[in-house]
Amino acid sequence: MTASRSHRVRLDAITHRFGASTAVRDINLDIAGGELVALLGPSGCGKSTLLRIISGFIRQSEGRVLFDDSIADALSPAERGVGIVFQNYALFPHMSVGENVAYGLQAHKWSRERIAKRVAEMLDLVHMGEFAGRKPRELSGGQQQRVALARCLAIDPKVLLLDEPFGALDKNLRLDMQIEVKRLQRQSGITTILVTHDQEEALSMADRIAVMSRGRIEQISTPTGIYDTPQTLFVNEFVGTTNVLRGEFIDGSAVQLEHGVVLPVSPDKIFQQGHAVVVSIRPEQLRFQPAPSDGVFTAIITTVLPLGAQVVYDVALTGGPSLKVAEPRDAEGELREVGATVYLAPASPAACHVFPAS
Amino acid sequence: MAGRRRIRWEALSLKLVFGLLAAIALLFLVLPTAVVLLTSLTSSQSLRFPPPGFSLRWYVALLDADQMQRAGLNSLIVAFWTTLLSSICGTAAALAIARSRSPLMRAADLLFMSPLLLPALSFGFAALIFINRLGLSPSVPLLVLGHGIVCVPFVLRTTLASLSQLDASLLEASESLGADRLTTFRRITLPLIGPGIGAGAFLAFMASFDNVPVSLFLADERTEMLPIHLWQQIETNLDVRTAAASGAIVIATLILMLLAERFAGLTRQMH
Repeated sequence: MTASRSHRVRLDAITHRFGASTAVRDINLDIAGGELVALLGPSGCGKSTLLRIISGFIRQSEGRVLFDDSIADALSPAERGVGIVFQNYALFPHMSVGENVAYGLQAHKWSRERIAKRVAEMLDLVHMGEFAGRKPRELSGGQQQRVALARCLAIDPKVLLLDEPFGALDKNLRLDMQIEVKRLQRQSGITTILVTHDQEEALSMADRIAVMSRGRIEQISTPTGIYDTPQTLFVNEFVGTTNVLRGEFIDGSAVQLEHGVVLPVSPDKIFQQGHAVVVSIRPEQLRFQPAPSDGVFTAIITTVLPLGAQVVYDVALTGGPSLKVAEPRDAEGELREVGATVYLAPASPAACHVFPAS
Repeated sequence: MAGRRRIRWEALSLKLVFGLLAAIALLFLVLPTAVVLLTSLTSSQSLRFPPPGFSLRWYVALLDADQMQRAGLNSLIVAFWTTLLSSICGTAAALAIARSRSPLMRAADLLFMSPLLLPALSFGFAALIFINRLGLSPSVPLLVLGHGIVCVPFVLRTTLASLSQLDASLLEASESLGADRLTTFRRITLPLIGPGIGAGAFLAFMASFDNVPVSLFLADERTEMLPIHLWQQIETNLDVRTAAASGAIVIATLILMLLAERFAGLTRQMH
């Protein structure tokens, strides 16, 4: 594979409206050459619209798309040099695997010999060399995806756009393909944008994740940054699992929760005293305590879920909501029992994320 | 229990209705065809059913039936050009209608379909008056034009159906791979909707070949069409060769249908 130079993609204040509704609103995103950025969000958050704007299938209402510092707004997808792997792979059903891969090269007026060589090379790259003569319908989902990838990489695109590419694959195959795609991406150094609603996929594949909600980017950060320091309650709840508790801000270091416990916190942002807030604590950030004391929840275990590497307990707070608690499982140790009274506290004040109550 | 019993009754009544419809179809479509085929094989001089004996003499007699052959050739020529015309117009119209969401295109769709709903007899009559007003007289090109209007809906429907099955992301994939619109049409759209156009063309050909109402008005005295000629023969002298000609058409149609089903999946294109 020819090592493609890495290209930078920049979105400058992109807004797009469909009639009266705004699909994406004031999106700013700077993607460095060779970077893999995931657009993560629930369906309808605008991530697919944004991908179609970057690819050039739709023209944004406002703002600019820049490829390597030159404005690409008036360019077609082919002129922009984007390679797209569609959600359903969009392989041409009446052509063989080899013809599918050759298609873009023929459109680019390559000679017959060069095309044959390139097709063989691309199919080898995705381990589909023996399947050149097959029709797409004779292939499994994973194989179809490999062909779709080979087809779009064959024309040596500047930017690779992946639209929910793993959604149709079963879980084990999905992981294999994620590793495979990441390997290809690293190897070629091609700038890649991945659209997904699957947080695990975004966390495992992306260099950076842009979490989107209702047409806006809520936060752009590295996978660990998104997980450990979510900036909004939406990001906190969408990525990973969390417990959300309502309360009132007392001062810079404590929150009075609705059901009585005063919780020490260390928020980035200080709220007025008495301001209604929600506190979010991830299940693995809660620790079992030997005895009750200040800032410690008293609860009764209602469900035990031994999930292999860890155990998740569902516990009911006295006079309050239920919480999920995750504990690493000790192969020798016994599981805690349903009905047992337990005492829980956050691992540290920093583990409690404080957001304004909506 | 009660629920399950009701469902069983529904399934039963569905079967009954379908069975009844199939029986009626067999009775009124297949049986007459069989009667025509049997009659055409008669050894007697007159149209009689059941035939007293069997022979191929009337099929042999067809070889000498100059007038009937000429009418058959006329019908074939008109059906050929009609098929070509309605395939091109029907496909072009289907592409425009499928791509657009404007209510104007809905209206155009309805307009193209209207010859199927309108009595063809009144269309034929209107067309005759119209071309007379234009100072033209019936001729083969005008006949093809008239047949075309009645036959376009078949191609339009089957092509629209196959276009609705066409995944838009295939066209986007083609575009993003650098193909221009013409290449995309030629290499992606056309091969994928081809069977739909083919099925429509087949229907259009058959509809033109046995069209009576439009031909009745638009054919001139020199261009006699086969269905009209056959009708006249039956009316005047109960010629047994008409049965043989009908038999030949039935057999040819069956063979064509089997070929179309084998190579294009004709019935698959119709829904």
